[in-house]
Amino acid sequence: MFLPESMSRIMVVGTKSRMDDAINAFYSEKVIHVIDHTTGDDGLSIGTSKPEISKASERLLKIRGLEKELGIKTRTRTEDIAVEDVRERVNAGDVEGVEKEVMDAVDARNGLTQLISELNAKKETLGLLSRIPLTLDFYSGYKSISVTVGSVTSDPAALNLDAEIFASYDKKNGGVVAVFYRNADRDKVSAALAEIGFSEIQVPSYEPVSPSDEIVKIDEQLVKAAQDLDAAEEELMKLKAKHRAFLKGSDEELAIQVQKGSVPLRIAVGKYSYIMDAWVPTSKVETVKQHLEEKLGDDVHVEVMEERARDMEASESQEPRFQKVPTKQTNGKVAKEFEYVTSLVSRPKYQEIDPTVFIMIFLPLFFGIMVGDVGYAIPFIILGGYGLNKTKNKDWRAIGLVLFLGGIWAALFGALFYGEMLGMHFVGGHWEGGDWIWYHDNVAVGGTAVTWDWLLGNQFPEWFCNLIGHVNPEGTHVGVGKLEDVAFLLKLSVYIGVVHLFIGHMCGLYNKKMQHGFKHAFLEKGGIVLSFFGIIFLCFGLTDFMFNKADITSGLAFYALVIGIALLVVGTAINAKAEGALQAILGLPEHIGQILSYTRLAAIGMSKAGMALAFNYIVFSMIMSTATTGVMQDGVEVVSFDPFAAPVMLILGIAMFCFLHLVIWTLAILSAGIHSLRLQFVELMMRFFEGGGEEYLPLKEVRVKTFFKNKISNINEV
Amino acid sequence: MAAEQAGLIAIGAGLAVGLAGIGAGLGEKDIGAAAVGAITEDASLFGKGMIFTVMPETIVIFGLVIAIMALFVL
Repeated sequence: MFLPESMSRIMVVGTKSRMDDAINAFYSEKVIHVIDHTTGDDGLSIGTSKPEISKASERLLKIRGLEKELGIKTRTRTEDIAVEDVRERVNAGDVEGVEKEVMDAVDARNGLTQLISELNAKKETLGLLSRIPLTLDFYSGYKSISVTVGSVTSDPAALNLDAEIFASYDKKNGGVVAVFYRNADRDKVSAALAEIGFSEIQVPSYEPVSPSDEIVKIDEQLVKAAQDLDAAEEELMKLKAKHRAFLKGSDEELAIQVQKGSVPLRIAVGKYSYIMDAWVPTSKVETVKQHLEEKLGDDVHVEVMEERARDMEASESQEPRFQKVPTKQTNGKVAKEFEYVTSLVSRPKYQEIDPTVFIMIFLPLFFGIMVGDVGYAIPFIILGGYGLNKTKNKDWRAIGLVLFLGGIWAALFGALFYGEMLGMHFVGGHWEGGDWIWYHDNVAVGGTAVTWDWLLGNQFPEWFCNLIGHVNPEGTHVGVGKLEDVAFLLKLSVYIGVVHLFIGHMCGLYNKKMQHGFKHAFLEKGGIVLSFFGIIFLCFGLTDFMFNKADITSGLAFYALVIGIALLVVGTAINAKAEGALQAILGLPEHIGQILSYTRLAAIGMSKAGMALAFNYIVFSMIMSTATTGVMQDGVEVVSFDPFAAPVMLILGIAMFCFLHLVIWTLAILSAGIHSLRLQFVELMMRFFEGGGEEYLPLKEVRVKTFFKNKISNINEV
Repeated sequence: MAAEQAGLIAIGAGLAVGLAGIGAGLGEKDIGAAAVGAITEDASLFGKGMIFTVMPETIVIFGLVIAIMALFVL
C-alpha cells in the first residue's frame, strides 16, 4: 500500500523464427515492462520492425486523416466491432475503398464551398458596379480611351480631371467610381485616384447586361449551390454514420498491430535468436515464466535475473539501463484516484514511500475542516458524486472525489463539531448563573449571532443539541464557534500540523533507512526529527509561560522547556555534523514556520465564517423584517424574526442570501481546495518525497471499441 | 477596553494582514509568472509550479493569524 510493488528483472531468450508468437504471448501476459536494448559490448543490435507494419502504419495514417475529415473524435460514440471483421475488411482493402468514397464526397463539398465563395465575391463586385448606371459592355471595347473602375474611401467629387467620371458616394458605404480617360492621361488619373483612397475592381464580364440583372442570376446560382452543399454535407454525415464503427475499430486494431510490430525495435535480435530484458512484478514472475514456457515450449527460455532490493546500492551497482525500476503503485480502488494528485508533483521512485494514501486521508479531511459547514457541504457532495458518476477523465475524477469526500468531512465537521449551516449555528444560547439559557426564538438587538432556531422559530430537540460538540467546560452545546473559540481552533490546527508533519518526518526517516541503512538515515534525518520535537516542547513550554502565566521554574512548563532544549541541542549537533553548523542553526526556525503554516486550517475557516456572519446579518437583521418583543435580556431588547410582515423584503432577502452564499461557496472551493493541497504538497511531501520514478508501461492491448468474437489463441502451435 | 485601545488593535490587525499580503503578493507575482511560463512549455510541471507559487502565501497566513489573535485573543 505504501511502497511501490516489488519488481524482478527477467531475461527472455528465444528463437527468432517464433518471435511473432512470442510477442503475442508477451502481450497476453499484460505485466511485462520491456527494458529498451542499447547496443553495447554484447555485440547484439536491435531488430527491425516487421515488413507488413509499414503497410499497417500507412493505413493507420489514412484512417486518422479520414476520421479528422468526418469529425470522428475520441469521444464519438460508436458501435463495438469484432476484431475478426476488422482484420478481414482491412485485408480486403476496405480502408482504401472507404478512403475513395469519403474523399470523393469531401472533394465535392470543398468544390461547392469554393464555388459559393467565388459567387459571393462576384456578387459583391456587381453590387458596387450596380451603383453606376451603366451596363457592363460599356467598360470595354475602346481604342483611344481607357477605363478604370474601383471603390474609393473619400468623396470623388473632389476629382478634377479632364475625363468622363461616373461616381456614386455616400459617407456610410464609401463610394464607387468609373473613370473614362484618354490613354495618355494614365499617370495623371492614377495619381488623382490614389488621393481619394482608390482600389481597383475587376469587371466580371463585358456582356450588355446591367449589373443588377447579373446579381439576380448569381443569386439563383447561389441558392442552388447552397442546396448542393447541404446535400453534400448530408452525404458526408451518412458516410460518417456508415463507416465510423469500422474506422474507429480499425484505428484501434492497426494501432495495436503497429505497436506489436515495433517490439523488435526495442529488444536485441541476433541472426537466429532474440533476447529481451524486462521488469515483471515479483509476485507474477513464476506465472509469467510458466505461461511463456507453456505457450512457446522449447523455443523460449526465461531466466529470473534478480529481485530488485530497495536500497540504492542494489540499483547503482547495475549497468545504466537496469538502474531505474518502473514504479507500479499499489493503491486500492479509492486511493488510485488520488494517484493523479501525487503525479502533479512527480511519480514516486521505486525506493520510496508512495504518499498517495496520506493524500487520500488528509486532503479531504483538511478540506472538510476548512469548509466545516453543512450548508456548503451538501452541494459539494452532490457535485462530487455527479462528477464521479459522469466523467471518466482522471483529472476530473480526482477533483470530483476530493469534493465528494471533502464534502462528507465538511458535513460531519459542520454538523457535529461546528454546529453550523450556511454560516449560522443551529442553536444559540448563553450560560447564566449556573443554568444554560437557550435562545430558541429570539436574538438580542444589534447582535450578529443569527441562529437557525431563531430563524425557524422552533426548538431543535434536546438530543440533537447534545450531539453538537463544544469547547467550554460548562457544556454549551452550540458547537465550536469559528469566530468565538479562536484560540482553541488555532491550537487544534497546530496539533493537527504536528501530527501531519510527524508522519512526514517518519516517512523521511524510513525512506532513508531503506535506501542507505539506519546509520545514514539517522545522520541525515535524525537530527531534523529530534530538533522538530525539541521545537515542539520548547514552544509548548514557552507559550504556557507567556499566555497562561504558568510557573517556568517548575511543573509541566519547566519539564517541557528542559526536554525541548535538550532535544534541540542533540538534534542541532547531529545536523551540524551532517550539513554544517550554520545550516543546522538556520534550519531551526523552519520547523516553527512549518507548524504555524497549519494555522491556515483555522484561519481559512474563520475568514469564511466572518464573511458569512456579515452576509447573514445583512440579510436577516437589516433587509428582512424583525419585530421588537419588549423583553429585555442582558440590558438589551430582544427581537423576533418576522419575515412575512414585509413580503417584498422577504423575496429580496432570499435572493441576496442565495447570491451571497454562492460567492462564499465558490471561494470555498478555491481557498480550501488549494490550501489543503498545498499542505500536502509543501508541508507533508517535502519532508520525504523525492519523486522522479519511471512509469510502469507493461505490454498490453488496450481494446475499447473492438472485441474478439471467440477466444482463440493467436499463438501458433508447433 | 478603552476605545483608543480597541482602535489601535484594529489598526495593528489591519497592518498585519495588509503588509503581509503585499509582501506575499510581490513574492508570488514573479514566481507565478515564471510558473505559468514553465507550464506552457511542459504541462506536467503544474504541481511543482503550484508549490513554488503558494510558498510565500504562508506569510499571509501568519499575518492573518496575528491579526486574529490581536482582535480576538488579546
